[in-house]
Amino acid sequence: MRRSLTLYGLTFSLPLLIWQLLFFVFPLVFLVALSFWTVKNFRMQADLDTVNWATMYGRSVFWQAYGTTLAMASAASVLVSILAFPCSYAIAFKLSETARRWAIFLMVIPFFTSYLVRVYSWQIFLSDAGIINVMLGWIGLGPFGLLNTVGATIVGYLTLTYPLVVLLQLFSLVFIDRTLIEAAHNLRCGRLRTVFAVIIPSARVGLVIAALFAFILSFGDFVSPIYLGGGDPTTLSILITDTTKSGQQWPRAAVIALTMIATLLFVAFVAVRFAYKGRSK
Amino acid sequence: MKNNTLVSFEGVVKRFGDFLAVQRMDFEIAKGEFLAIMGSSGCGKTTTLRMLAGLEAPSEGVIRLSGKPINDLPTWSRDTPMVWQSLALFPFLNVIENVEFALKMRGIGKTERRRRAEQWLDRMQITEFASRNISQLSGGQRQRVALARSLVVEPEILLLDEPLSALDAALKVRMQSVLKNLQRETGITFVYVTHSQSEAFSMADRVVIMSRGKIEQIGTPQEIYRTPRTRFVAGFLGSSNMFTGKVTGIDGGVVTLDTPSGALRLGATDLPGPVAVGQTATLTVLDTKTHLATRAPAGNVNALPVRMIGEEFIGATATIYLEASDGHEIRVQKSHEDLANLPLQIGQELVAHWPLEDGHLVMEA
Repeated sequence: MRRSLTLYGLTFSLPLLIWQLLFFVFPLVFLVALSFWTVKNFRMQADLDTVNWATMYGRSVFWQAYGTTLAMASAASVLVSILAFPCSYAIAFKLSETARRWAIFLMVIPFFTSYLVRVYSWQIFLSDAGIINVMLGWIGLGPFGLLNTVGATIVGYLTLTYPLVVLLQLFSLVFIDRTLIEAAHNLRCGRLRTVFAVIIPSARVGLVIAALFAFILSFGDFVSPIYLGGGDPTTLSILITDTTKSGQQWPRAAVIALTMIATLLFVAFVAVRFAYKGRSK
Repeated sequence: MKNNTLVSFEGVVKRFGDFLAVQRMDFEIAKGEFLAIMGSSGCGKTTTLRMLAGLEAPSEGVIRLSGKPINDLPTWSRDTPMVWQSLALFPFLNVIENVEFALKMRGIGKTERRRRAEQWLDRMQITEFASRNISQLSGGQRQRVALARSLVVEPEILLLDEPLSALDAALKVRMQSVLKNLQRETGITFVYVTHSQSEAFSMADRVVIMSRGKIEQIGTPQEIYRTPRTRFVAGFLGSSNMFTGKVTGIDGGVVTLDTPSGALRLGATDLPGPVAVGQTATLTVLDTKTHLATRAPAGNVNALPVRMIGEEFIGATATIYLEASDGHEIRVQKSHEDLANLPLQIGQELVAHWPLEDGHLVMEA
């Protein structure tokens, strides 16, 4: 069936199309072009040179940052999925209809404040003279260097992704057919085992998509690694700022950015494939 | 308790908050029988089944399985597999994995599991679909998978909650014979919940009829059909003419009942309990045992003057709708041959009659 474009349809879709073209497609094309430009005497000039790609991909610091970012984002996405699951499970299966609505409302509240503000407030908790160390001091422990660690960065990632992951998981859990759970119980599948044998497989698409979102958000995040991780170890987002600051190397930063985009596309593709694996068309 | 009893309900009551879902029920299910629990929606039949499966806990009373009380046993510790109305097949597992599920939960090894699952796929004639997804199967095939999944553990009892309600009429009849044969061959006790009289009566050895959380009658399909014991049952089956009135005499083995349609009599040999003069009771007579004539026949029969108000052809038989003198509706179901000699026109005056022994008495609750 051929669908013809109508003026009516265009009126509504055109603004968005133009927006996407202006602020997504053009910048992306420009970013690709930029990665082939060269910098001479702190000045960029249009060019078609692969020198930036060769330089960046030849540097161990780039691959270290790439590995670190990949590992930390993966860890955060796995961790947040595991931590969020009991919460979303409880909301989906243990709460009454009204309580569930309140819980969903509470999960939305974190989005009211800026992520940056929430990360700064973590500094108050984690710094050497912060709340946690003071309280540990009362029982004669510490102080521990909590801030500027990988752990603190992960805490930041969780702050960013936890409410969203709970919501995404929740929406896949509430749509599970309850009779499937009863049927599993009835076939001698105990309560805990049912979670792994029935509930997780039933909610797989939602759980994978939630983890994917956590990965995407963490992978590109700049705030947590700099304000909680202290910029060490260097993540790709930090490497981009460092690269642009040092000698106007925008083309090299473009290489990093494009590599990140390619990685996210690849991960998203694999994740979606995995989520829908074994489902019939 | 008889020694072939598998399940017994002893004074079982189920409440949901203030709502009384199941009123005090006492009945037994024998080993190897096909029992149907029938009633309209909300009558407590599914709740009864769910209590047996361990999905609901009785509020009062004891349910015993093989003599042992099972009230406190969670469903995953009982061997009471159930077939759901929605079938509740696992969509993330293929056919054979669904069938293997219960075996896996029992810790049975992989090869043994596969062997037993394949046996049941073969038995249910769905071997060719073993590695298919559930969504690729037809309704009848899914039904067979659901049965295989529950029966693969070879339980003593199988619970079925309206499993055929989603199928079309022809497939329903085919699955009924599949179920009946399966039950006969395996000797497994089937407890089958349904709202359909034809399903219950064609498959079950005994039928329990429930209404508003109460058991109205338990008996073989024949017994229930011929002699409904309560007004509800007679009305629910819809196959009897009913006349309600006051008992005016019990005399010489004949009970006389004064109804708005006229005085009626019936033999006192088959009474549901003690009957006293002045009590309200209902006489029921099957519409197939109610006869029509142009004049009241001689002999000891009940005869009511009636007027024809309509007729309906149902295949080999016809149902004639008539009106007694007080406007009470009477149905007569007969073959076309039996009706051939009657002047059947709307408004025609006729006589409905039946021998005394074909009437049954139902006392008001």
